[in-house]
Amino acid sequence: MKKNPEQEIDQSARFAFSFFVASAGLWLLAAALLAYIAAAKLTDPLFLSSLEFFTYGKIKVSQANAFVYGWGGNSIFAVSLWIIARLSQSLVRGSIFLIFAGAIWNLSITFGLLGILDGHMLGHELLEMPKQVWPALLVSYLIIAFIIFVVFRSRKQKVTIAPQWFIIAALIWFPCLFLFGWSGLELNPGRGTLQSILSIWFGQNVIWLWLTPVALGCAYYIIPSVLNRPIDKYYLAVFGFWCIAGLAPWSVVHHLEGGPVPMWVPAIGTVMSIAMVFPIAVASTNFHSTAFQDVSKVWNYLPLRFVIFGTLSYTISSYIGVIFSLPAVAKLTQFSIINEFHFNQRVYGFFSMIIFGIVYHILPQITGREIGTAAKNFHFWTSALGVFALLLAYLVGGLTHGVLGQQPSLAWATVIESVKPYFLITEYAFLILGFSQLVFVLNLWKVLVPNPFASSDRQANLKTA
Amino acid sequence: MSKENQTSEEIRSSGMKDDELVNKHVRLNQIKHEPTKGFLQAPLIFVFVFGCLIFVCSIQLAHTTNDFQLHPPKEIVELTPEEKEALRLDRKISSGEKIFAVRCASCHQGNGLGIAGQYPPLAGSKWATANPEIITNIILKGLKGEIVVKGETYGTSAAVNMAAVAINDREIANVVTYVRQAWGNDANEVFEDEVASTRAGSVEQQDQWTGDQLISMYPDSFSN
Repeated sequence: MKKNPEQEIDQSARFAFSFFVASAGLWLLAAALLAYIAAAKLTDPLFLSSLEFFTYGKIKVSQANAFVYGWGGNSIFAVSLWIIARLSQSLVRGSIFLIFAGAIWNLSITFGLLGILDGHMLGHELLEMPKQVWPALLVSYLIIAFIIFVVFRSRKQKVTIAPQWFIIAALIWFPCLFLFGWSGLELNPGRGTLQSILSIWFGQNVIWLWLTPVALGCAYYIIPSVLNRPIDKYYLAVFGFWCIAGLAPWSVVHHLEGGPVPMWVPAIGTVMSIAMVFPIAVASTNFHSTAFQDVSKVWNYLPLRFVIFGTLSYTISSYIGVIFSLPAVAKLTQFSIINEFHFNQRVYGFFSMIIFGIVYHILPQITGREIGTAAKNFHFWTSALGVFALLLAYLVGGLTHGVLGQQPSLAWATVIESVKPYFLITEYAFLILGFSQLVFVLNLWKVLVPNPFASSDRQANLKTA
Repeated sequence: MSKENQTSEEIRSSGMKDDELVNKHVRLNQIKHEPTKGFLQAPLIFVFVFGCLIFVCSIQLAHTTNDFQLHPPKEIVELTPEEKEALRLDRKISSGEKIFAVRCASCHQGNGLGIAGQYPPLAGSKWATANPEIITNIILKGLKGEIVVKGETYGTSAAVNMAAVAINDREIANVVTYVRQAWGNDANEVFEDEVASTRAGSVEQQDQWTGDQLISMYPDSFSN
């Protein structure tokens, strides 16, 4: 039986995609465990306190790294490989190199996290893994990105469309960011203020120029593909893309508001974050005016429900982020747990939700096996509940923390005491999220690893073809 | 609702094929969107919102950039010798003014008129404006006994040290120059080396000067 071209591409990408998704799932579980431990330590400082490996600082940092590089990195490789191959209509070649580089990537992160837990961490956000692992990470990243780029170069239609821009740009931006950050912070450390500016620039831009564009690219792909209608007001997408490319790297420095840096730095950051209204509005218009023309399909097709949850969360919380970048508001919230809100909103509420959706969309096509609806639904509702609880707790808790912290008459201990209930909510939220991610990974592995007693792959493929 | 019964697989297979997806969007990019009947409103709203944002942003920048300049102005402006001289004298006098305000003005007052019957005036006083060595000597060693300034008699038997805290030649030159040119005084400038030679010439004077001593040292200055 002759396969159609899409199935041939799926077949060629299958090995590498499965590898990356499977390892991403494991990292997600590791990060969920670490996140729960970190949250539990905030409510009960004696939790695991006798173990030196599990001090709060190490756990918190290794959670962020496991999440961004382990889960984020692997899932980015997986979905960008598949989407780029599908849109380029060309086969994935060199899977063995992808697996090889992916193995190096995962081993390096493992060693990096062990290094952090052993106390060898560096001092810059998302650059905390010991310096020995970075060259390996960079080389393996470049190999993977190069192979995806080769697939992209051999595309049939030479004119590119939105999902390709975002994904390819993210693949190119990350090593650039890394080389800038690495040379300015480790190889040839800048003096004083420059280091702190570069540090926040790198740490925030990993989220803004790597995770965010990939997730946006996925949404730009899956929405028209499933709904069978082109993106509404597509002519705006190119504007949105260049706005993100031009504004996002500037806007992140608003986090330095009130810090010991020249005043123009946070001022520029604030101005650029206000200007970020445009790309956010463009992406939100594109996604939602397309998706809401067929709400019942969005609701019934679970992958799309995940993605629309992600894009809605992106829109709402990015606008909230713009408000928090205004100096008048930042004065209140700058030194509070509201920063946790920004990070978690981006990685859980937006990036992860979209990746869950796109993985659920891709997996049945690649493996030919459908994932149980009940399990997917359970995953969706627990994720949604967990994300809501987490973000609300950090938002309300952060505002409480910030406003009370400004009262000179209140002792600091009193302020912390009043934030404690929110920490308890986040602990439960991380617990719920952990369960939901466990279900996701079980779903994933169930279709990825064939049951030796069931019918063989070939039969499953025949059934879908 | 028929769609509710659709399985995921059915929805997926009813979706767009990827080559179709690419081609449709490429075509969308090539044709300009055609104006629809309400098309004037949206761009106008956008222009308005854009304008407001740019306004807010520029106010924000103007308020918080602290006069930031990427290239600070260089101070290599070529000055003529006269301008340099004027600049030097200005700086000297403003330095002298500060020293005066800190160390002298409590008695002689900021306007240089002193207090009648207690502290002699410096404005229009020959003691200040005639030979600069007189005022320099007074600052260096102090004064005791009575003196006559502008027809009034000042002073008690108590000795007064003008410079209770050590003062160096440069400071004396600056403050004396200031005194000699302020409040309508119009005497010449005093230089650091002149003060130094006066200081060297007065080492033998152990005690404070008396007015008569100074008058006898510089008779020319007090003869009308």
